[in-house]
Amino acid sequence: MMAARHLLLLLSQACLLLETGSLAAAPPLTASEAPLESPHFTACLSREQETFRCWWSAGSFRNLSQPGALRVFFLKKNSLSRTWMECPNYTASVPNECYFNKSYTSIWTSYCLQLRSRHHNVTYDERCFNVEDIVHPDPPVSMNWTLLNVSRSGLHFDIIVRWEPPPSADVKAGWMSLTYEVQYRERNASHWEVLDLETSTQQSVYGLHTNMEYEVRVRCKMRAFDNFGQFSDSIFVHVPGKVHGKESTFPVTVVFIFGVVGLAILFLLIIFSHQQKLMVILLPPVPAPKIKGIDPDLLKKGRLDELSSVLSSHPLCKAEMYREEPWVEFIELDLERMDAAEKTGCSDTQRLLGLVPHLGSSHRLAAKDGDLGRASCYEPELSEADPAVAAAFCLRPRVTSPELQSDRPAPDAGPAPVAGSAPDGEADGRPVIQTQLSTQSSVSMDFYAQVSDVTPLGGVVLSPGQQVRGPGEKGEGGDGQPLKNQKEGQKKEGEGGVEKEVPLPLLIVAPDSGAYTSELGNRQIGSDCSRREAFQDPPAEMPQPPPEKNAVEQFALIVPPAGEYQSPYFIPPTPQLPPVADYTVVQDVDAQQSLLLNPSTPPPPSMAPVKPPPAMPVGYLTPDLLGNISL
Amino acid sequence: MFRKLKGPVIFLLMFLDVQVIVGSTPICVHGHTGCQTLSLADLFDRVIQHSARVHGLSSDLHSEYEQYFLPSKNKISKINRNCHTSYILTPNGKENAQRLAGEDLTGVILKLLLAWRDPLSQFHRSMAQHEDFTSFSGNKALEMSDMMHLLGMISNSVRGLISNEALGPQASSSEARPMNDQQLLYCFRRDSNKIQIYLKILKCRIAPEQGC
Repeated sequence: MMAARHLLLLLSQACLLLETGSLAAAPPLTASEAPLESPHFTACLSREQETFRCWWSAGSFRNLSQPGALRVFFLKKNSLSRTWMECPNYTASVPNECYFNKSYTSIWTSYCLQLRSRHHNVTYDERCFNVEDIVHPDPPVSMNWTLLNVSRSGLHFDIIVRWEPPPSADVKAGWMSLTYEVQYRERNASHWEVLDLETSTQQSVYGLHTNMEYEVRVRCKMRAFDNFGQFSDSIFVHVPGKVHGKESTFPVTVVFIFGVVGLAILFLLIIFSHQQKLMVILLPPVPAPKIKGIDPDLLKKGRLDELSSVLSSHPLCKAEMYREEPWVEFIELDLERMDAAEKTGCSDTQRLLGLVPHLGSSHRLAAKDGDLGRASCYEPELSEADPAVAAAFCLRPRVTSPELQSDRPAPDAGPAPVAGSAPDGEADGRPVIQTQLSTQSSVSMDFYAQVSDVTPLGGVVLSPGQQVRGPGEKGEGGDGQPLKNQKEGQKKEGEGGVEKEVPLPLLIVAPDSGAYTSELGNRQIGSDCSRREAFQDPPAEMPQPPPEKNAVEQFALIVPPAGEYQSPYFIPPTPQLPPVADYTVVQDVDAQQSLLLNPSTPPPPSMAPVKPPPAMPVGYLTPDLLGNISL
Repeated sequence: MFRKLKGPVIFLLMFLDVQVIVGSTPICVHGHTGCQTLSLADLFDRVIQHSARVHGLSSDLHSEYEQYFLPSKNKISKINRNCHTSYILTPNGKENAQRLAGEDLTGVILKLLLAWRDPLSQFHRSMAQHEDFTSFSGNKALEMSDMMHLLGMISNSVRGLISNEALGPQASSSEARPMNDQQLLYCFRRDSNKIQIYLKILKCRIAPEQGC
């Protein structure tokens, strides 16, 4: 006991040495005792800024817990006196409380309180403060709430909470300015929702759920100070909403969500399945530029018919085509003869010109490359022995008219008669008799000569003028003149042009002029051609026609009497055909590239040469003119 | 008493209320015709709002200053504070303030306002020099400038209006102890609170409303 007392004295002295400003710091413990706590102030607060109270506790000093064992002394800093005064009122009802009433309370002044022992010798604790700093207002009173609105769905509602300031705080006089803080929570939740500070005595609370109970409370503090007062009593808010509102909307929302998801999946499937189409629709391929002209695809794929149609439709190509081969249509080829002639081993030109000895008049105008014309003569029944070239009188169309014109002084381009030489055996070595072809213009020449007969030696006997037939037709006498040598007066300068290098026994074309010459009257054409009335014996006629430079239109064709010659050519009888002119001089070529003929000259049955009109181009050579021709 | 008080009070309030001065319609002081009359209660309300704003600003400044510059709270320094306006006798209680005459109360308010003109400008200058202060509270410094301007206007006007007797002894600026920023802020916060409360009480006195 005595030791304890001594110990306590020691401890109290130790406390005295401590700085007065420090709050209750626990003194160091003695060895075996529990941690001691000296008496100290627990709290000092003011409720209305007019009075304040302080509380202390004895701590571990049990003996000091009796009333009166500890004393409180205070000091106002602004007062001039520095004397400590004792607590004016020790609250009787509450132990360890010192109450300072209004007269002792000065705001905006610093107070210092000391906790001393009874006999003034030990100061356990000291506190200094300003009264306005320890103000903790009372809680607001008279809190109530009113419903502002309920949401359309009936799930939420808003309320407004009202309260009254604490009665102790003189707000009306302006002594205290309070700010309030509202808190709410769901009934059984642990977390409080804190709303912003509010100066006025009402607060709106939004977003509360129906069918749920809420607890709302409020507290206040002085404006521009930090000490909150106690919370008010909570009020409970409950708004009954639709009983099954939440449940009824639940399946609707679920169905809605599933429907949306399903539609989205369907949409994606459609997109992925028709990706290509969609790509084409959304991003159409840019069409390649269409250039007027020929589509190269036609050439690639080998559609020649389309290509040719395209080409034909093109005006440029059309002219070209016709210019190239204007007489393609008028020439016939006797392919049988040609084959036969080939079998004999003779070249075409030789056969044509009678160079082939045994063939004699087996001439064949073979088609040169690209020569596809059909002759007007048609001799299907020529003897096999001499698969001659009655059809060989088919001339190639004139290819290069300017070339032909160059050398011959003939004023007119007359028909270049193709006169197959009808050699009487001499024709083999006969040079080419060339008629003069005057080629003034391609248009006005007489290009055609009808070959009425071919001599056994290969000479061609040309018939007098005859109607020019259309393309592909045989000569008018072609039906009735099956002789190949009876051709339409078709001239083929190309033939001459081709053969110009070769001195042909056939009088045909001057090598440089390429004109066709006609051998009039001195050919012995195929004997069968003798049917033709127009046949003449060319030699007999030679002197007869006037020596004109103009083309002799008419040829004398020798029609040997049947059986007189060993003519390999036969003319099958065609009695029904009316006698027609053997040839007709082509007057002109009109725009449509059809031949304009001279219709006026009926072919004389005899071999009398027809006098050509003076304007007629020189196309044919009469036999008498042959001598004027220089090879 | 009120009539004697009314003139200077109204004039004071007019100068306190800057908004009134820059209003479109001139304010009638003595009820002249052709001008807009503001009730005294409205004037007081506006002034009280201004003072509340000032008080809040000072409180914020003080707490921020303590938080920024003095992280460790030292209670001792708090105790030893003594403001330069301590010489001004101010009612320290509600009853005392309510018992005080309106004129006296007005005088107290004006004294306080005048006393704070110079220290605030000094503080403003020191704030500008402080490097840390720009980040400390930039807009608050701006508001302090506003307050300075306001107080300057008030002081100049009040000097002409109120006699020196009413003002009582003033501490000249030379006597003012140089205060550090923290103490200044503490004192200014306290005094702005005083001004606010006194104005409210004055309003209740002059333009009484229910419950005053």
